[in-house]
Parts: sequence; C-alpha cells; structure tokens
Amino acid sequence: MTRLLLALIAAAVLVALPPFLGLGWQNTLTNMLIAALFAAAFNLLMGQGGMLSFGHAAYYGLGAFAVLHLMLAIENGFNFPTALLPLAGAGVGLLSGLGAGYFAAKRTGVYFSLVTLALAELLHAIAPHWQGLFGGEAGLSSMRMPSWGLEFGTSLEVYYVTLAWVVVSIGLLYAYTLTPFGRLTLALRDNEQRVRFMGFDPHRTKVLVFGISAMFSGVAGGLMAMSQETANYNIFSMAISSQVVLQTFVGGSTLFLGPVLGAAVLTVFTFLISEMTRAWMLYQGILFVLIMLFAPNGIAGVIQLHIDARDRLPWARLTGPYALATAAGAVATTGLVMLVHYAELVFADAYRARVARDGLWEPVSAFGIDWNPLNPVTWLVPLALIVLGIVGILKMRGPIAQLWATPANIPPTAAMPAPHAA
Amino acid sequence: MKAVVATALAAASLLGTTALASADPLKIAIIESLSGSQTSTGRLYATASHYVIDKLNAAGGYNGEPIIVTEYDSGGNTAGASAKFKQAVADGANIVIQGSSSAIAGQISEDVRKHNLRNKGSEVLFLNVGGEAMELTGDKCHFHAFRFTTTAPIRVGALVSVMKDQETLGTRVYSINQNYSWGQDMQAAIEADARRGGYEVVETVLHDVNRIQDFSPFVAKIQAAKPDTVITGNWSNDLLLLMKATGDAGLKVRFGTAFLDQPGNIGNAGPVALGHYVAHPYNIELSRTSFPQDYETVTGHLPTYVEPGTVNGLTMLGKALDATSVKGGKVDADKIALALEGVTLDTDIGTLSMRKADHQVLLPVVVSEVSRDVKYPVDGTDMGFKPVKVIPADQATYPAQDSCQMKRPS
Amino acid sequence: MEFVTLSLLNGAIYGMLLFMVSAGLTLIFGMMGVLNFAHASFYMLGAYFAYTLSGMFNFWVGLIVAPLMVGVVGVIIERTLLRRVHRHGHAHELLLTFGIALICEELVKLFYGDFPVNYQMPAELNFSAFTVFGTNYPFYRLFIGLVAVAMFAALLIVLTKTRIGIIVRGAERLPKMAEALGHNVPLVFMGVFGAGAALAGLGGAVAGAFYPTNPNMALDLGVIVFVVVVVGGLGSLEGSLVASLLIGIFTSFAVGLDWSIAGLLGVVGLGGVAEAIGGPLTLTLSSASGTVPFLMMLIVLLVRPAGLMGSRN
Repeated sequence: MTRLLLALIAAAVLVALPPFLGLGWQNTLTNMLIAALFAAAFNLLMGQGGMLSFGHAAYYGLGAFAVLHLMLAIENGFNFPTALLPLAGAGVGLLSGLGAGYFAAKRTGVYFSLVTLALAELLHAIAPHWQGLFGGEAGLSSMRMPSWGLEFGTSLEVYYVTLAWVVVSIGLLYAYTLTPFGRLTLALRDNEQRVRFMGFDPHRTKVLVFGISAMFSGVAGGLMAMSQETANYNIFSMAISSQVVLQTFVGGSTLFLGPVLGAAVLTVFTFLISEMTRAWMLYQGILFVLIMLFAPNGIAGVIQLHIDARDRLPWARLTGPYALATAAGAVATTGLVMLVHYAELVFADAYRARVARDGLWEPVSAFGIDWNPLNPVTWLVPLALIVLGIVGILKMRGPIAQLWATPANIPPTAAMPAPHAA
Repeated sequence: MKAVVATALAAASLLGTTALASADPLKIAIIESLSGSQTSTGRLYATASHYVIDKLNAAGGYNGEPIIVTEYDSGGNTAGASAKFKQAVADGANIVIQGSSSAIAGQISEDVRKHNLRNKGSEVLFLNVGGEAMELTGDKCHFHAFRFTTTAPIRVGALVSVMKDQETLGTRVYSINQNYSWGQDMQAAIEADARRGGYEVVETVLHDVNRIQDFSPFVAKIQAAKPDTVITGNWSNDLLLLMKATGDAGLKVRFGTAFLDQPGNIGNAGPVALGHYVAHPYNIELSRTSFPQDYETVTGHLPTYVEPGTVNGLTMLGKALDATSVKGGKVDADKIALALEGVTLDTDIGTLSMRKADHQVLLPVVVSEVSRDVKYPVDGTDMGFKPVKVIPADQATYPAQDSCQMKRPS
Repeated sequence: MEFVTLSLLNGAIYGMLLFMVSAGLTLIFGMMGVLNFAHASFYMLGAYFAYTLSGMFNFWVGLIVAPLMVGVVGVIIERTLLRRVHRHGHAHELLLTFGIALICEELVKLFYGDFPVNYQMPAELNFSAFTVFGTNYPFYRLFIGLVAVAMFAALLIVLTKTRIGIIVRGAERLPKMAEALGHNVPLVFMGVFGAGAALAGLGGAVAGAFYPTNPNMALDLGVIVFVVVVVGGLGSLEGSLVASLLIGIFTSFAVGLDWSIAGLLGVVGLGGVAEAIGGPLTLTLSSASGTVPFLMMLIVLLVRPAGLMGSRN
C-alpha cells in the first residue's frame, strides 16, 4: 500500500513538475528517464539473469538507428505516428538481442561478458564505414514530424512521450519479474543445474531473457534518438556500455528499482555538477569503487536493508552515530573536492603555461579563500580533512554495528547482502 | 501530500524564473571539442573566439550589455555536440560558434535549422569558423548559418595552381584523407583538379578519423606508390602522426596540405618538412599591424593555424553587431544575420566579404612553404611558413552551389 | 615488395608491444581468474610516469623506475582493494577493476590534461637503423621489439627455471595444494599482480615515447589486449605471444588490402549482385580492418573458448 502511494506520488511529480522547469531541466529529466529505462533493461539480464553484459550499447544503439531510419522514412512521406517511434527500437532490439543472445548465452561468466563486449566493439568498428545503415562517421539525423495533432517540437512534448514510454516499459519489466517465467530467470541465476533438472532448457531461457533485455534497451535507444534526432557510431562505444554498468551497480543490481534509482541519481548529478567541474567522471569512478567495496548491493541495497530492519532497529539511538558518520563523510568529501579542485587549477595547461612564462604561482581559490599552491598548508588542509573524515567514519562503525546487533541476533555489517526483493 | 506539492511548486517556480530571467544580453555559446583526440584544435578556436569577444566587450558589448560567452565541450562527437547545443539553447544562447569538425558543424547547423523552424522569434545563429565540408554551404545551407573559412576546392585549387607555377607539383599525386565529409571533399577536389594541374592521381586513401595510432603502414603505402606530391586535408592527431611517421621514415615526398600550420607538425616531421606547402586563410608573416604581438600578449602565444581565420570571422561578426546594436534593445538574430550579409573586412592580405547567396565568406588564400627564411619560426625549430603567393578572394572562390536553396525571412 | 617487408617489420614490432602488455594480463587471469579491466591503465600509467621522470631526470631513469612504480601501484591495488571483494566473486572483482580503470583515466586527465603529452625518445636513440627501399627504418622501433623479446625471455626463464617460477606455477594450477605445502599463496598472488602491472608499465614506458601518450591510450589498447589474451588462450603466455604477433601483423597489412566480399564474389561472377546489396559487402578490408580482431575474438570464444594455446576453458 505504502509502495503504491509512493509510486503515485512519484508519478504525480513527474507529470506535474516539468512545465514549471527550465529547458535545461526538461532535457535532463528526459535523459534521466531514458537512462533509467536502459538501466532497468540492462538489469533484467544482470540482476535477474546473472549475466553481466559489457556491450549493451549495441542494442541501445541499434534501437536508436532503427528509430532514426523510421523518422527519415516519415520525413519522406511514410505514414506513421511519431509517438509510436520507439516501437521500431523495440523490434530491432528484440531481434538483435535474440541473435546476439543465442551466441552469448552459450558461454557463462567472464566468457559471456567477453562475447557481449566483442559484439559491441564489432558494431563500433564497422558502423563508421557503413554509410547506408549508420550514416558513416557523421551518423544519421532526422526531424520529428507532427502527428496526432501534436507538433513534437518542444522539449516538453518530448518529455511527456518519453515519460509515457518509460513508465509503461518499466511497468512491463516489473510485471515480467512476477510471471512464472520471470521466476525461472531468477532460478537460472541462482542454480542453473536445478533449472535443467526441472526440465527447462537453460540456453533457450537465457536467449529469451537476453532478447527481452535488448528489446527494452532498444526502446531506450529509440527514445534517445527521438529526443536527440541524431545518432552516430559513438553510440556503440564502450563509454555507453560502461555507463549503464556503472549506474546499475551504484543503484544496486539486486533490487528491481536499484538501477532506476542509480541512473536517475547519476544523470541528475551529472547535469548539476558537470558544468562546475571537469572531474565529475572521477567522482563517479570513486563512488563506484567505494560502493563495490562497502555496499555491493548499491544505494538501493542499503535502503532496503534499513526498510527490512525498520521494526527492530533502535532508530532513536542510531540517529546520533548516523549523523556523526554522515558529517564525517561530508568532511572527507570536502577534503577530496578541495584536493581535486586544486589539482584541476594548478595542473591546467593555461596555469602551467603562465607559471612557465612568469615564474609566478598565482593563488588558487577554494571556498572563497585564496590558497598559495607553494605553501604546504594548502595541500595539508584537504589531506587532513580526508583523514579526519575517514577516521570519523571508522570510529562510528563500531557503535553502529552494535546497535544493529542489539535487538535481534543477526550479524550486522553494512555490506551484508540483502535478500532479493523485487 | 499537500506540503510536498507546495514545496515542489515553490522549487519549480524558482527554477523556472532563473531559466526565463536572462533574455537581454547577447549570449554566445562556443561548442568545441574540448576533450578527446581533437582537443588541441578545439582549444584554439575557443581561444581565438574569446580574444575577439573580449575586445568587443571592452568596446561596450552589445545593446549596452556585456556579451556573455560560455564554452561547451562536445567531446568531439556529433551526439555530444547535439546535447550541448540543447543545453546552450536552454541557457539562452543567441549565437553558436563551432570550428573543429565538419561532421559536428553539420550536426549543429541542422540542430540550429530545426530550432529556428520551431521557435520563431527566438532564432539562433550558427557561425561556422572551421567546418569546411562543401555540403555546409550546399545541401545544408540555411539563412542562419554562416561559414567563415575555406572549403576543399578552395584549398586544393590554391595549392595546385601555386605548386604548378613553382614547378614543384610533379605529375604523380597521392591523396590521403580522412573518411568523412571533409576528407571525401578533399579527395574529390584533388581528382577534379588533375587535368588543370597536369597530374595523375596515383592512389587515394580514406582512413579512419582520429583513431589511428601509427601511420607507418600508410607511409609504406605512399612510398610504394612513388608519388611526387602527397595532398592531404588531414588535421589534428591525424596530421600530427602522419608527419611523425614521414619524419621517422625520412620520406622524400613533397606534401601539399590544408593544415600543416597546426602546432606540432613541423616539430614532429623535422627537416623533411622543408619544402612542404600549406594553403591557409592567413599567414602572420604578412602582417603589417601589431596583431600578432597583441594576440601573444593576451593569449600567451602567437596566432597560428585556425586562430587568425577565426579572429577575422568574429571581427566580421563584431561589425555586424555594431551595425545592429541599440542600447537597451532586444537581441534579434535575424537582424544580425542580415547585417552580416553586408559586412566586409579589410586585412593585410585583401578584403573579406560574406556572400549572400550561400553565406560562404569570400576570402583571399595564402599559399606558404616550409622554409628556414622566416620571421616567426614554429615549434621551437628554425623552420616556419614563408608566404609564396596570395590568391585574391575573387580568384580563390567558386560560385555558390546550386544545391543551396536558402529560405530567407520574409 | 617494399610494402610487404615494411608491413611485416612494423607489424611484428607492434605485435611485440601488444605482447608486453598482455603478458601480465594473461598471467593474472590464469592465476587468479580475474579479468583485469584496469590492466591497460597500467600501460598508460607507465607511459605517464616515464614521461614525468624523463622530464625530471632522463629517459633511462624513466624507463627503469616507471615500471617499478606501476608495479607498486599494482601491489597496492591488489592488497587494499581487490582482496577485499574476492569473497563477493569474480563478477565483483571485474567490476572493481573496471572502476579502477575509470579512476586512472580521470586522474591522468586531471594531472596531465586531455592533450597528448610530449614524451619523446632520447636523441641518442633517434636515428635510423637501416634503409630499406629508400626509406629509413627508425631504430626506436627495433628497440621496442628488443625490449619485448628480452622481457619474454626473462619471463620464460623465471617461470620455468627458478624456484619462484615453480611456486607461481604451482599456485596457479592448484592454489589449495600450494597453500597446504606451506606457501603463502596470497603473497604469490600479490607478487604476480604487481609483476604483471610492472610489465604493462614497461610497455607503456617504452611505447609511449613512440606512439602518442594521451588519456585515451588505455581504452584504445585495452580492448585489443583483451582480444590478444582471449585469442591466445586465457592464461597461456605462448598463446599471447602468437596472438599478439598475428594481430600486429594483420593490422599493419590491412591498410594495404583493398579486398572486399564483393570483390571475392566478383571472382565467381557475382560481383554485380554484391555491389547491388552494398553495405558490408563492398567494404574493403583496409577500411574494415578494425573489425577483424573482434571477429577473431568472437570466433575463438564461440568455437574454442580455451583459445589457440590455452589448455583450460
């Protein structure tokens, strides 16, 4: 019940808010929705099926190109409603996914990942040379045509079409996990041998899961093509494939909504921060590694852990240590941001050129204070903050673990794998 | 629930107002490849643009407000550029500047066209300071796009006629170019000029763009074809590495190039570069003003490569802005575009003007030779670019392409 | 003829460079079962460290010290990060190294900028070794090949002729047994990881002075190195060598080959049909050469996952 209410509130906000936002935010929210769908589709394979694909950009990209071809056909007079464009992405995604899945699913583990990687790289290498299908180096571009009385000109219209597609798609993906076949997928991840003994063909099941995952990835790619009205071979690059891996695991791959959360959070953060600092990707990498080390089930995993234990946790007594740990985390982050900020300024080409020319080390500013880069204090302050923050967190670990252990006799660690919950 | 909605609405109105409040000052967006393998080139376009706009601002800006310049990193690919164009529009940009790549120029030009179709009254101008593919003033030409640089036939034509006069062209020409619109144009121009130049094209190569790490296989291929001259439109890493490989191999072939003046090429090639040619829109050796020194004081280096051309282009924009600037007035992209069509600019090497039919700048072209006899040696070597001949604007350019069907505002 | 000779030489030397980088990767995989996504980052770090050191001291200091520094980085990563996630399984280890690769790339961008840095070979190595068909053959290319050959010989001797080699091979085959015999297997793992990283670092330090040293170099080489390791057989040093040479020589020849499927069909009179279909059928091998390594990798993965010379699947 609470879950339904939360979902309704989220939907209401997503529907009602955007008209009041600026263009930049409308674009970002569109990108966020697309990323969320892509991550959810990816995770059908990873979280549900236990198959780690390092080349999901292939199906995302093929979906995008399929939609662009359809858009070009519409420009030339073919009659097709603009709002249904992503269907082309779904179709091509499904077909290519079934084809690729047939081969990839013959292998497991690292070998599976390598097959998917090789397939995507193959596309990435051939696309710039294939003028007719992928438009060569420059790629394809088209224009959304009016249909159903809608212009499809403004970002807002694109946003609502995207929203509808993403909500329906994620709904379908969720429904899938509830079907017997979805259950079978989970069983496949946990124990393939048993699935075989139950009389199912694991390979066929895997291929089908791969196909469905690729189909929704194709929808996401199609939505991206529809919103950007363009794509080139870069859509097949490793960067796109790795971005979805990153978002999925930051969010948490063991929960259905984890990847959606991860994609949403990281897209919005990227929008907010990437204009401020060039080092955004660095922070993303650090965040990813920290999550891999300390919270293997991602942000959603941590949240789920708390929800599961909400009745037995001494919340009042936890507040203090949690607040302190958060503060310590903030202190360490501040130190890191300062350090990276200095490095960004001092190691910039322009700055070094000036130093080489004038021999003067201009002060760098952080938090409204000018710091002399030659003074060790400048570098010791952020280092001290980082150490202080880490020590603070380590100090709080004991008390928090104790409080987690008190009511019930369950061994507590923040990194404890959460039981699967869909 | 009520509280949530109230907070959301408050946040929304806050964000909404910040997005709408900024309408008055002229906003220029520089969308360049500021990361990835084309960074070196992208950075130069941005630097040159800032140089001119800072001067415009020092002279009073536009409509009595300082011009606001923002840089956006396209990451060197069309999808990135398209996303950044959206962001620039969201930030209220009136003018977009891009130089690094024809592929990206094509993308932004199309994005600008679509935007202007959909948003009457808040049009955006695209100033193409470096995209040299023919289609940009052909098929893809439109009223709100202006090109301030040369194209492949202009560069190849200048190279061929000067090298032929100098009797350095020979009869066997090799064409090595990048496999996209610009490189394909170069190859077509090299083939088209064969009869006029009295040469045979012995081999043509179109290779991957900015992905090749080692050009020595290509140098081996060139060597095997025994050409007298290699003509290439390569730029950025693709030219740098080609020059490095020819230098390493000591390849004794003359190069006719479009972008040899890009920093690093001469240093990488070493003495084998002596006698190579470049056709470019400007050569500071010919400057009779203090422009090179002033540029050096402001930016830390002498203007090279694409910088002088970009400075000229934006100076033309400055003249158009002067003509339309009204204190307290609104920014009207159409008005600026109309003014740009009539702008002329006198430089040390001749007059630049904007052709109304296809928005291609008509400009004189300099053909220079790598030599030790220069005022401004480059790359820490004793070599530089010695001007051989200036080809005036009316001889350098070809007529507007028929494929350009420009719809003008009524 | 000159094209064949030059391509063969260049290809063999590029292949040896690939081998330098992939040797460590295949050793680490063979031993720990970890597919290290960050391995090409070690190659990049090697180049950048050597660039910095060559500026502070000279090229030779960089060449020797940079690989050691990269080795230390490798040891630290294994000891403090990789070991922690070991219990979560191989997928987690893979993801962790993937994160580390991201961080390495971004750190390099932060400190050295997006530009390629000007890492140059010393003047005393910058001469032409010999002249073939009127072109000079740079000595430095041979130098890259020589370093790689020396490294392969040293590695082979250490692994087959020394006590350390026996322990390492033992720990690779039967870790439990090696542990029972009193060997410190985690220490061996750490050593191998560090040594593998150092080898990649050496590759970077040598090659960075010839090929461009830029923040994309890890990504550019990374995927190709995977291809080498898979095709050669995960865990097989000799296989890596053969695969490296194959791919190196192929890449260098491909630019000169204007073969296409359409051309091939033309031989049997179906050229017109293929031209009409277009697309990939008319692609020349020279322009599609980038796809061939991945095709090879796919075929090997699907037909013989153990690779050319691997003994296990």
